[in-house]
Order: sequence, then C-alpha cells, then structure tokens
Amino acid sequence: MSLEDTFIIFMKFIIPLYLLAFVIYAIRAFRGPTIPDIILAIDCMSFDIAAFMAILAVYFKSVFLISGAITLALWAYLLDIYIAKYLVSREVGA
Amino acid sequence: MSEVLFYLGAIMIIIGGICDLFGAIGLLRFPNFYVRLHAATVGTIGGAVVPLFGVGFLALGSNFLPHKYAIAGASFVTGIIVLLAAPAGAHALAYAAHKAKLVQWNPKCDHLTEVKKHD
Repeated sequence: MSLEDTFIIFMKFIIPLYLLAFVIYAIRAFRGPTIPDIILAIDCMSFDIAAFMAILAVYFKSVFLISGAITLALWAYLLDIYIAKYLVSREVGA
Repeated sequence: MSEVLFYLGAIMIIIGGICDLFGAIGLLRFPNFYVRLHAATVGTIGGAVVPLFGVGFLALGSNFLPHKYAIAGASFVTGIIVLLAAPAGAHALAYAAHKAKLVQWNPKCDHLTEVKKHD
C-alpha cells in the first residue's frame, strides 16, 4: 500500500472528528449568553478551520488553501484584540 | 526516513483531532466564561497548533505531493502564528470581560480587583 492510499484511508477517520468539533463550537457560538463567549467560540472555530484547511491542502494537493489558513489565523487574532479594546473602553457591548 | 516523518505527522493530526473534540465539548459544557477559557486553550493549542505541525511533517514525508516544501513551510509558519496569537487574544478577552463586568461569577479571591484597589 502506498503512502497516498494510507492518507486517503486516514482522512476517513479525521474528517468526522473535525466536523463534529466545528458543529459543537457553532452551537456555543449561537447559544453564548455573553459577548466574550461568542467571540471565544468564533476564535476556536477559526483556528480549527485553519488547521483543517491545511489538512485539505494535502488532500487536494493544492498550495493555495494554505494562504487562506494564514489569513484566517491573523483575522481571529484581530477580532480578539478589537473586541477587547471596545469592551474596555465601553463603546460597544453591555 | 520519509515514512517515519509521514506517520509522525499522521499521529500528530489524530492527537489534534481528539484535542479539538475535547475542547469543543468543554466549551459547550463548562459553567461560565472564565472556566470556558481553559477548554478554549485545549481547543486552540492542542487542536490547531499540533495538527498544523503534523501537516508540516506529513507533507515533508510524503512522496505524492507536487508542492510539498511550500505546503510544509506555510504550515509551520501558520502553526507559529497561532501559537503566538491565541494566548494573547484569550488574555486580552479575559481582561476585557473582567473590566467590563460582563460575566456573573462568585470567586473566592479576586487578585485583579485587589491590585486595582491599592492604586
């Protein structure tokens, strides 16, 4: 068995694990009682979609998915910092 | 040698998926925001950094990828970015939630309020 066939079988175990985690994070993002809960759930979802895009880049043999992963990681950090800034200065939120 | 790198990366991706699922369940089940930050650390560091390094090793060890060095290098860079950005973002969010008094909780002791009182 070549390494490519091993990887195809391996993906069948990996994809449900990550998709189930995305669904649970999305439930917390919709149900979150306060604003920091929603932002935390969206953060975790973005970082894990970045990791899953790197796995899909190997699966589809494409380099272009990786640039999306880098942008997604930086975007989640920016979301954290801006929401924290506006919560501290009390301009947005309650 | 390349098979060793491939299977090391595959094991790291499986560990990342399991950490991701446990972090998600913790984020859903834990009672308030400050406890949920703990599960979010499991979900970001264990669930994003470890599989990104795993994808880097797997791409270096594979023999069927056309651009394997580009995918491996970009995966390592993304892993280092997440490793630096996730704790800083979580820390800023926890400080903002404490400062804006958004979360209902009953602490035994609150060191940040005591430090603010002495200033």
